[in-house]
Amino acid sequence: MTTVEPRHDGLAGPAQPRDRVAADETVGITMTVNGTETTVTVPPRAHLGDVLREQLGLTGTHLGCEHGVCGMCTVLVDGEAARACLLFAVQCEGAEIVTVEGLGTPDDQHPLQQAFSAHHALQCGFCTPGMLMSSYDLLTTTPEVESEELPEQMSGVLCRCTGYRGILAAVDDVRQRYPDGVPGPRACGARTLVGRGSGGGTGAAAAEEDVPAAALAQEVRLPSGPPSAVVDVTSALGSPVERVWAVLDDFDLLARCLPGARLTEVLDGDRYRGRAVVALGPVKLSFDGLAQVVERDPAAHRLRFHAQGADAGGSATQADVVLAAEAGPDGGTVLTAHADVHLTGRVAQFGRALAGDVSRRLFEQFAASVDEAAETGSVTAPSRGAQLRLVAGTVRDTVRALVRRGFARVRQR
Amino acid sequence: MKAAPFAYVRPGRLDDVLGELAGGDGKVLAGGQSLVPVLAMRLGRPGTLVDITAVPELASVGPDQHGYRIGAAVRQRAVEHDPAARAVPLIGMAMPFVGHRELRSRGTVCGSLAHADPAAELPAVACCLQATVELAGPAGRRRLPAEEFVTGAMTTAACPEDVVVAVTFPHARPGEGYGFAEIARRHGDFALAGVVTRVRVGADGGVTEARLTGFGISDRAVTRDVTSLLAEHEDDLRPATAALAEDVVDTGGDTHGSTGYRRRLFGVLAARELSRALQRARDRKEGS
Repeated sequence: MTTVEPRHDGLAGPAQPRDRVAADETVGITMTVNGTETTVTVPPRAHLGDVLREQLGLTGTHLGCEHGVCGMCTVLVDGEAARACLLFAVQCEGAEIVTVEGLGTPDDQHPLQQAFSAHHALQCGFCTPGMLMSSYDLLTTTPEVESEELPEQMSGVLCRCTGYRGILAAVDDVRQRYPDGVPGPRACGARTLVGRGSGGGTGAAAAEEDVPAAALAQEVRLPSGPPSAVVDVTSALGSPVERVWAVLDDFDLLARCLPGARLTEVLDGDRYRGRAVVALGPVKLSFDGLAQVVERDPAAHRLRFHAQGADAGGSATQADVVLAAEAGPDGGTVLTAHADVHLTGRVAQFGRALAGDVSRRLFEQFAASVDEAAETGSVTAPSRGAQLRLVAGTVRDTVRALVRRGFARVRQR
Repeated sequence: MKAAPFAYVRPGRLDDVLGELAGGDGKVLAGGQSLVPVLAMRLGRPGTLVDITAVPELASVGPDQHGYRIGAAVRQRAVEHDPAARAVPLIGMAMPFVGHRELRSRGTVCGSLAHADPAAELPAVACCLQATVELAGPAGRRRLPAEEFVTGAMTTAACPEDVVVAVTFPHARPGEGYGFAEIARRHGDFALAGVVTRVRVGADGGVTEARLTGFGISDRAVTRDVTSLLAEHEDDLRPATAALAEDVVDTGGDTHGSTGYRRRLFGVLAARELSRALQRARDRKEGS
């Protein structure tokens, strides 16, 4: 008798046994999501769709009916399209999951995403992630599918609106361009998926114990994809460059200059644990995080650090930050900050423009605080970031205008 | 649409599966594509889900001396892509209609049988082909013909402490031809009516055996020996299958189709697929 693995592509063998997990217990499940191995703590009843969205912040996977009819939650499990709402996370031990976030990025779209865009294959867009993952599976496993078969083959995901013909046209377009199968997912690689404990109605137990677990990350891992926002802010400070560098060189003082940030623990290897609070109107995010200095150059007055933080609400951020101080005119200092900011989870839903604006405003306030610390050795309002407000007009401002305003305000001090 | 809390266990041995099922509060989870919607709608609240996918024995699939044997953890899509499954042509004919690709990637063949939806394709194929279902339970193992295994709408001869181990479909024999058709409102949905046919012809091309199974038309798949019907009415099957429809179609109407409409569907599909199976049987005989 021949033996065929239940998994068509042979990525993994039969499941490993798992001891009994009681209904009110949680269990750690390790799986690979978009190329990154991650462990989530879940009760048995949590389905994969909820875990992807609520714990890993991957809200690209939509939930419609939650009983297997609509196909909104379609993801790839071990290379094959499957309904995330019909799989419990406990069944996914060792599985390889790819969500729409792994398919491509806004700057490097998968051919299917490009075709969906070119054919305007959406009206409301709610079914788009499911349609993309389903059509990827179709064209990967059966590239020989005929054009006439597409309506039947794509019937596993419901489209409720006028985008339907465009969806079929987009899939047909890609089918013709890639007769030997479509290219693989473009955004699967090492990236940080920082989760939160199970909450949101998926279980009772683990909400408290998991937040510290996320904060106990020991190393900072930056995503491989393009950042959500790139921030370049140049500020003219009144203090001389050596005093500004003294602030940059003192991570404790430096952290207090960052609006809303608080250093909670100094670790070895130039690593620091802290908490940062950001409030924007009704939004309030509290990030527990880790920063690691990767470059400290006193001669060039240059400091580079990597930071990551996770919010209890499923948002995560990572940043690669370079701060450099140069002697400026009038004995002052020109402080430049460059940051590649990566956002995942709910915070990413702000949109890239808004995320960039918020980050810039934070850096401007940071520069002002550095100036104050350089002059006085302390910072008066370490938590002012908690009061950060955005007015609608700010969002539309250009970088140039923001930078200019930052210059002007700081110079007036 | 969240399932009520349940305990979960994934034993590595069949004996441990049976141990977990002892007491009757457990429910077998294989692919879950029929079970999980039931849990999500809180139509079922089993105390424990016993995941059988870590039992190596249940993951095997392939030909043996009785036919093509499919273990209980083997997914529909694995069978769909297994060249050895071509020895049972009806599997390949029916499988594209079982749910959608996205469901077949996780759903199992034996799970479809154990769920026993009256409109499901695979129980009908199993009944038409006289497949054998293997069960393991507290009293040991037993084998049942598919027609005895399915006892009603979503009801089988398996008791709560039993687990389906495998199903074996007999290989196609020389001189056999098959037909399969269903009408559903959307591809992949459960059928309003469907038929599976198997016809065998002798050396002279005459009908020696004909079986027809209808699904979606009663509380379970209904199988009839239609050897004489086909032999006598080969040239004009419609009146005969219309009469047969009066006999076998007893499902009540719903918003998607009345009983009369399903009878008409059944009669048309039965005539068409019996003709098709007969033609294929004769082609196959000549080709062999």
